[in-house]
Amino acid sequence: MIRLHNVERSYPLGRGQLFYVLRDIDLDISQGDFVSVMGPSGAGKSTLLHILGMHDHGWTGEYFFDETATHHLKAKERASLRNEKIGFVFQQYHLLDDLTVYENLDIPLSYRHYSKSERTALVGDALDRFQIVGKKDLYPRQLSGGQQQLVGVARAIIAQPKLLLADEPTGNLHSSQGEEIMKLFRKLNEEGMTIVQVTHSEKNASYGKRIVQLRDGWIV
Amino acid sequence: MIREIRFAFRRLARSPGFVVIAVVTLALAIGASTAVLSLVNALLIRPLPYGAPQQLVLLLQHFKSQNLERIPVSPPEFVDYESRAQDFDKMGAFGFLDFNLASGDKPERIAGAQVTANVFPLLGVTPIKGRFFEPTECQVGRDDVIIISERLWQRKFNRDPRILGTKLLLDGKSFTIVGIMPARFDFPLQLFNLGAGGQFGGRADIWQPLAFTDKALSLRSYRSYSIVGRLKPGISLAHAQAEIETINGQMRIEHKDNYPPADSFGGDVYPFQELAVAGMRPTLLILLGAVALVLLIACANLTTMLLARAAAHEREMAIRVALGAGPLRLLRQVLTESVILALLGGVAGVLLAIWGVDLLKSIGAQTVPRLREVNLDLRVLIITFAVSVGTGIVFGLVPGLASANPELTESLKEGGRSSTMGKSRNRLRNAIVIAEVALALVLLTSAGLLMKSFVRLQKVNPGFDSHHVLTAEVSLPKLKYPDDKAIVRFSDEAQRRIAALPGIQAVGLTTILPLAGSNSDSSFAIEGRTNDRNAPSPDEEKREVSPDYFRAIGTPLIRGRFFTQADNADAPLVIIVNQAFAKKFWPNEDAVGKRVVMGGMSPDPKWITIVGIVGDIRHAALDVEPKPEMYVPFAQDPYKSMIFAVRGAQDPRPLASAIRSHIQSIDPSLPLANIRTFDAVIAESVAPRRLSVVLLGVVLLATVGIYGVMSFLVVQRTHEIGVRMALGAQRADVMRLVIGRALQLIAIGTAIGLLMALFSMRALQALLYHVSAVDLPTFFFVTFVLALVALAASYLPAQRAMRADPMVALSHNT
Ligand SMILES: Nc1ncnc2c1ncn2[C@@H]1O[C@H](COP(=O)(O)OP(=O)(O)O)[C@@H](O)[C@H]1O
Ligand SMILES: [Mg+2]
Repeated sequence: MIRLHNVERSYPLGRGQLFYVLRDIDLDISQGDFVSVMGPSGAGKSTLLHILGMHDHGWTGEYFFDETATHHLKAKERASLRNEKIGFVFQQYHLLDDLTVYENLDIPLSYRHYSKSERTALVGDALDRFQIVGKKDLYPRQLSGGQQQLVGVARAIIAQPKLLLADEPTGNLHSSQGEEIMKLFRKLNEEGMTIVQVTHSEKNASYGKRIVQLRDGWIV
Repeated sequence: MIREIRFAFRRLARSPGFVVIAVVTLALAIGASTAVLSLVNALLIRPLPYGAPQQLVLLLQHFKSQNLERIPVSPPEFVDYESRAQDFDKMGAFGFLDFNLASGDKPERIAGAQVTANVFPLLGVTPIKGRFFEPTECQVGRDDVIIISERLWQRKFNRDPRILGTKLLLDGKSFTIVGIMPARFDFPLQLFNLGAGGQFGGRADIWQPLAFTDKALSLRSYRSYSIVGRLKPGISLAHAQAEIETINGQMRIEHKDNYPPADSFGGDVYPFQELAVAGMRPTLLILLGAVALVLLIACANLTTMLLARAAAHEREMAIRVALGAGPLRLLRQVLTESVILALLGGVAGVLLAIWGVDLLKSIGAQTVPRLREVNLDLRVLIITFAVSVGTGIVFGLVPGLASANPELTESLKEGGRSSTMGKSRNRLRNAIVIAEVALALVLLTSAGLLMKSFVRLQKVNPGFDSHHVLTAEVSLPKLKYPDDKAIVRFSDEAQRRIAALPGIQAVGLTTILPLAGSNSDSSFAIEGRTNDRNAPSPDEEKREVSPDYFRAIGTPLIRGRFFTQADNADAPLVIIVNQAFAKKFWPNEDAVGKRVVMGGMSPDPKWITIVGIVGDIRHAALDVEPKPEMYVPFAQDPYKSMIFAVRGAQDPRPLASAIRSHIQSIDPSLPLANIRTFDAVIAESVAPRRLSVVLLGVVLLATVGIYGVMSFLVVQRTHEIGVRMALGAQRADVMRLVIGRALQLIAIGTAIGLLMALFSMRALQALLYHVSAVDLPTFFFVTFVLALVALAASYLPAQRAMRADPMVALSHNT
């Protein structure tokens, strides 16, 4: 489903020098895979995930998504591809503070072509499925960290993406809360969702099917 | 506390960008307020530079039926008042008089005054050298003494300590210097230049005793002097006024022929200070209101910025509380920070104000009385200090209270993002923005209305064409030019020589120039109209002009003819009137050919024939409708002071030195004074109004403030925008969100602002010219501009936030 070839990401260091965050990345991820990206801090894991999630386009190389050469797409086309196929879970949840749980879940749908009734149905499904119906009118800061991340995951998959990307989704959670998220991920994967997660924990990685190790920008 | 201050400085140093914006915002607002405060202080509050000025009054007269107000007093009337009034400790008369001072090969015109012996003592001042005038020196023949100013002493005599007793040649006559007045002494103030007496002259540098001739003492119509007096302690203004009215009544009975029997004639006692400031008060109060609004806006700006900072620091605050800090401590911490900011702004503001005061002075030119006295004194500095501290507390209070009660559990919640902006805080910030928009709208509207007035005024047709016209004054000394013939010989020769210069189209001469601040009038009678003995005879403005005067200033001839060289002293008397005059007295007839006589009707009247009608001229001010005017040939009624008006083909300024040397080739002892373009004369006449245009600068501050705050609000949302983009928002979605919010705030703000403006603009009415206080186009325009600014302020940062990849926005920490 995903093929990266010779992907490189660098930042200018000044005086014409470049600092390489990712070097010569070749990576294949097939449909239904569950990959854990691991490596020390600063290795480039988040950078890689942002590239996969098309949040970044300051990189070089080739990135095929379902045979689409995304490196040839215009920003707008890339954004619409992203909207259609990808969901993202953040370490810091990034829920919108001024919106209720319900409204937070509705946001991705509001940016896509869903009718009013579809939106209501989808949000309702998600609330049921993640068992947060009782929290739908609360604001994020009225939830525990684990509950917030639960909403974060629900929001990431509500628009039914094919690929779920998660950058240290349990990094800010207790281990028990983290476990729940991991079980949820496994369940999603079993239902056919392709998942790429970044994690520091061997235990979390064990929920996945394979591990990609990053070190100083290189896959080892 | 010291520690607290040190911490505050350290915290501020951590966000230099914020400090710079905050200090600049405050400096501009405090600077503007300080400049205006020093203006108000010097012009409205600070007492006049005389001893116990509250007891000083001016006494002037009026003829209500002729619409004459604040007119000067004649010598015999002064004697009546002085000898009879009991309420006055002392009373003195004074008049303006300019002197030609012979000095080397370049004679100089020096502004001065004549004063009776009482004037200096009653003002409660002392000379720095020498003495005042003795009463005996106020007699004809013994009045050859003068007092000079410290400024003149410095400039002409290099502070020569043996100055007293030195003789000075003024207008060809020798005077002995008997005293020196300190440099800051200023009398008479320019605004008392009521009678004829030249254009707005400089500050008096020479004083001469006022000695009335026997003839002058017999002429009740020779109104040339103003009276200054000091009331006895405990005497009220009303009491003095009543006494003056009694004396006026006696004068009417004793001199039936001189006064209309109706009580349309009278004298008025004005508080000196009041008369000195009255004209400036509306402008100053409006400026004061404007800077108060600007200060409020600056406070609102800083409150929003500090609120945002408080949100960013909420976690830090929560940690402090967890460590045991009470809410008061936290409040103190925030207030220390805000007061430090305000004081920094205050210091920068004072520096700005020093420059601002200079600017105000140059704008106000010399037509605004006492403007030279404006400075930043201790009183203004103390008020500025208080305002700064007060400002700091005002804008620190709300954020301080917000920080002092952090929502502990949430802020400290593990993993909770540091910036959790509460709904209520958002509402508060929105309310502040709305208030700010409303205030700015009021300011913008006032500035808009004033600007429109100013522009309208510039477009007013004054009745003449001032471009390419140079004006200059000459005053002939009595000794050398004892009679009319000598004066006319000089004026003819001067005009002839100037006209011969290359590039000159016309040379005219007048005794009184429009918009230059002086005026003169005369009563007259019309042939064939029997005047009701009880009604006052008509009285209208009158000037003496040369044949080419109207051509020189570009005033059109409507009917009849201009004067010619043939209209001289030997020819039949002629007169030209303006349209307003013709219309007033001959509404349905042709005025040309009609005859009038100056003064009252007499058994053997000297008839003067109207030979022409010219266009109306706005004489008193651009915003005052033209009045009826009479022009007589200078040659038939010469006067020692004359103003040349020279029209050049191009900019006539380069001709000034040639004109001067031509005048001096006729008489080397004659100085040419007040050489200015006619354009400059007009510009000066609207100087007080220009002060109100300073509002524009102030408004700019307000607009920048709005821009700052609105864009700040959007920058605050950079992170949110990033999240939304990552979740699939398109540019249009984000723009709709951001601009929608901005529009909402602006709509509410402008609605409130428009209401406020509607009610407050009446205060402006006095300063408006042909613009309604509820001028809809201005209101629309201003609203439009404000909306545009606010939209730009939202659009640009939103644009920036979206141009970056979501990755960048997501890592943006608010
Ligand atoms: N905007 C940037 N400019 C320069 N360097 C950056 C930028 N963003 C990330 N980096 C660097 O890239 C490297 C990899 O970052 P990241 O992908 O976040 O690492 P991690 O594996 O911990 O998620 C780090 O050394 C980081 O300093
Ligand atoms: Mg990372």
